[in-house]
Amino acid sequence: MKSRILYLSLCSALAACGGADTVDKAPALVIGGEDAGASPASLYQMPTPNELFSLVKEMAGEGHKRMLNPSSNADRYVTLRARAFNFGVYSTDLVYASCFKLNVEVARYYLTTKKLAESLGITGAFTDNDFVRLEGNLTRGDSLEVISNDGYMAAYAKLQEEAMGPTLAIVLAGGWVESMHLVMRQIEAFGKNEALMTRVAEQKVTLEHLLLLMGAYESDPEVAGLYKELVTIRDIYDQVNVKRVAHEGASTSGRMVLGDDIQMDLTAEKYNELVQAVDRLRAAWTAVEDKTNVSAS
Amino acid sequence: MKPMTTSFLSAALVLLSVSIAHAQDDCAEYYKFNCERSTDARFHVNGQSRGASVKVGEETELNIIVYRGQDYRISICHDEKVLGGQLAIRLVEKIRVPRAEGGTVTTTEDVLDENGKPTGTTQEVRTTDRKQVYDEIEKVLWDNTANDMASEIEFSCTATKRIAVEVNAPGPAEEKKKRTEAGMDIGCVGILIEHMPTPDLGF
Repeated sequence: MKSRILYLSLCSALAACGGADTVDKAPALVIGGEDAGASPASLYQMPTPNELFSLVKEMAGEGHKRMLNPSSNADRYVTLRARAFNFGVYSTDLVYASCFKLNVEVARYYLTTKKLAESLGITGAFTDNDFVRLEGNLTRGDSLEVISNDGYMAAYAKLQEEAMGPTLAIVLAGGWVESMHLVMRQIEAFGKNEALMTRVAEQKVTLEHLLLLMGAYESDPEVAGLYKELVTIRDIYDQVNVKRVAHEGASTSGRMVLGDDIQMDLTAEKYNELVQAVDRLRAAWTAVEDKTNVSAS
Repeated sequence: MKPMTTSFLSAALVLLSVSIAHAQDDCAEYYKFNCERSTDARFHVNGQSRGASVKVGEETELNIIVYRGQDYRISICHDEKVLGGQLAIRLVEKIRVPRAEGGTVTTTEDVLDENGKPTGTTQEVRTTDRKQVYDEIEKVLWDNTANDMASEIEFSCTATKRIAVEVNAPGPAEEKKKRTEAGMDIGCVGILIEHMPTPDLGF
């Protein structure tokens, strides 16, 4: 009897563990096949600004604090959309300051970003503990970049978790506009530079991506106006000639090259149109609000 | 004894469903704890990494941006018990392509005399009404079904692109399908993205 129980236990244990006779033959399945869903569940992630700034830094030397949105304005954004947009602006400024090692600004913009995050209900992304960590690392640029970027990513994740879709869309739009503003001002400070201009041209792709992400909230009253303004910037980009050519040769790293090379012919005229459109949009959305005239959302 | 067994089973089921729901909520950070980092220390975790709950047989895509001048490593990990041994994975470029829309419109209009009055005869007038519209097209750049069902890929990026990482889970093999039939057909998938500036190798 005892041996029979032992045998049965052994059998069930083997079955549970997927014994030798239960070969895991998964059903064949390909993407886009007949058994696939008609429309896939789509998730969108925007790149964090540090990825762009680290590429720009290679070409454009030092950062300039005068380019940032003054931190003193933070208390003067009242409506939800202004707080959300400028949270995107300030968190991008924070990442820029840490990337370009503007250490005093890093501390200042950390606190500014934290304040706006709290006003949006994003608690936990920028904490007092992290600020202490940040202060302790003010002489270590790389650590600052990591802490700032962690805060940005935590805020992003929190907005996703809390299903704050329209707010997230506005935050990301603020981040995109500020990234464009900072790269364009970097070009002004550094002098016209073809490599930097190409980076501005390539932001067409991130704008298309952002608009697709925002598309889900296009009819939201808080998002609609901003969405339309970004579409007008995309219209300028649409007038830029784009040429796709097959990549020749291997990558310098020896890794495979994915897809075609893309050449974008951004003329001085189109570049100036872009600068003006971005400046106009940024000026309107970073303008401080008169508390007596604005009904808070 | 019997009611006690029933209530025990009910409690177990409630606990089980709570833990499943919790597991689904937790999918967002699945990549952090389940996808293996590259052994190359130059790779940094990219902020676009993401976990998500995926249903067996339903395509899920993560749309990301890859920048020119960067090397990327994308690795995918998943809950094999629910989603099956291997996932079908594709990297697809999304491209916005212009197209002229519209065409020639023919209308019938009165022929007017020199005073601008109708003469009683009509003529056909053709007008061209063209505008530019944009289509979103997809170009498959990599498909793991043609690459030994690999769950990771490393590549260099020579142009900034919009990429969708598409995954589809076949589900467990026949012998394990009971679990799926019981409603457990949603599992976690993690997509870990790492990047570094494309290094110059050689002399």
